[in-house]
Amino acid sequence: MSLDTPEMLEIPDGTENELHELFHQRGWGDGLPIIAPTRNRVEEMLSISEGLDPDEIIATLPPRSGIATRRMIAINAVMAGCKPEHLPVLVSALRALNSPEVNLRGVNATTHCVAPLLIVHGKAAKDGHYNSGLGAFGPGNVANAATGRAVRLILHHVAGASPGIGDASTQGSPAKYSYCVAENLDSSPWGGYARSEGIDAESAVTIHCGEAPHNVHDMESSEPSRILDKVASAMTSWGQNNAPISQGEYFIALCPEHAATCASNGWSRSDIASYVFNKAIVNVGEARKAFELRAWAPWQHALKDSDTMPMTEKPENIKIFVTGGAGKHSCVIPSWGMTKSVTVPVAP
Amino acid sequence: MEIYTPNGNTGEPERSLSPPLPLLTGLSLGILDNTKPNAGVLLDRLADRLSDRVGLKIGLTETKNAALAAPTEVLNTLSKEVQVVLTGSAD
Repeated sequence: MSLDTPEMLEIPDGTENELHELFHQRGWGDGLPIIAPTRNRVEEMLSISEGLDPDEIIATLPPRSGIATRRMIAINAVMAGCKPEHLPVLVSALRALNSPEVNLRGVNATTHCVAPLLIVHGKAAKDGHYNSGLGAFGPGNVANAATGRAVRLILHHVAGASPGIGDASTQGSPAKYSYCVAENLDSSPWGGYARSEGIDAESAVTIHCGEAPHNVHDMESSEPSRILDKVASAMTSWGQNNAPISQGEYFIALCPEHAATCASNGWSRSDIASYVFNKAIVNVGEARKAFELRAWAPWQHALKDSDTMPMTEKPENIKIFVTGGAGKHSCVIPSWGMTKSVTVPVAP
Repeated sequence: MEIYTPNGNTGEPERSLSPPLPLLTGLSLGILDNTKPNAGVLLDRLADRLSDRVGLKIGLTETKNAALAAPTEVLNTLSKEVQVVLTGSAD
């Protein structure tokens, strides 16, 4: 199904000030300067999808039920500063966000500080010049910054996730400006993340709706357990939504050096997930004292106050990928909770 | 300079509100509690006020997760058992 071409607006003097004033008045944009989405720029953005219907509906986004066509995605991509080679990644990210298990209505509307993290895998990461090395979470790379920003602009403009209207986030988050990273496939001892999730494609994207990264610093360990004890520590705090919501996932973004330490000791992805599942535990009585509102698995309700329990209900909720450059800092990205990550192949 | 607008069209809403009822007196009232802290307190008190003022009969209370849509069985139960539902409360 496709839609008609969207409305166009005349900017009489065509100045940047006039453009930004118009966007400000209409509640558009993220507060930063934007690039004018002129017909020529949007056509150039769409040129990478030649032969495909620009007005095909890619996603219908809550809470506004906004329709994201390929052209509408391209308009916001231009505004964010994307290049044409980023458009297939962005279109694929919108398909992932549209998956029911993401629960985008809740993600957009909650008081929590959640933002969709976009992880780019494989050939698309190289072709689009996404940064998977030093400083992968930013700043400084056009692909990461602009693609992540375009996701946010689409959620703001098309989905209606505007602060105070469709987005009730109490404090917001810097991750709501732009939140995109590439997987460091060359430094991943276990192969690509997408293939570990059963996606057999040369390029893929993952959407994980979570908090901004929580740092894990370990400069000295030569065995996995000492590093992963710190990962488990970062996973075990009462402030994150995973604490009262047992179905929540964790993404662990290991730096290449921490990943190499684990792999050289013979640890696989599932070994790491099993270990931190068993180490990121809390006292049940303390959890009951901390939260009156608990979304737990049935078996957790049967536990005694003196028992311990893991921060998430199963090891499969712990997802591991490699990103970053030299140094010994990894991070944990807790979930909003009532959402599941989705990985899809990149398709234009 | 001419630019595209960045928000586009909207699709059909997934749900629409029922038309307002002309008279509440004598109707049965259900509560759909989203289980957020104090939602039950707020909705119970509002139900009591409505019962006192316009003679609504308080029926059953159902619960749902605040972050998810109400399950179909909950909606079916409410639609069979009551004619008016009170819901909606955040943190």
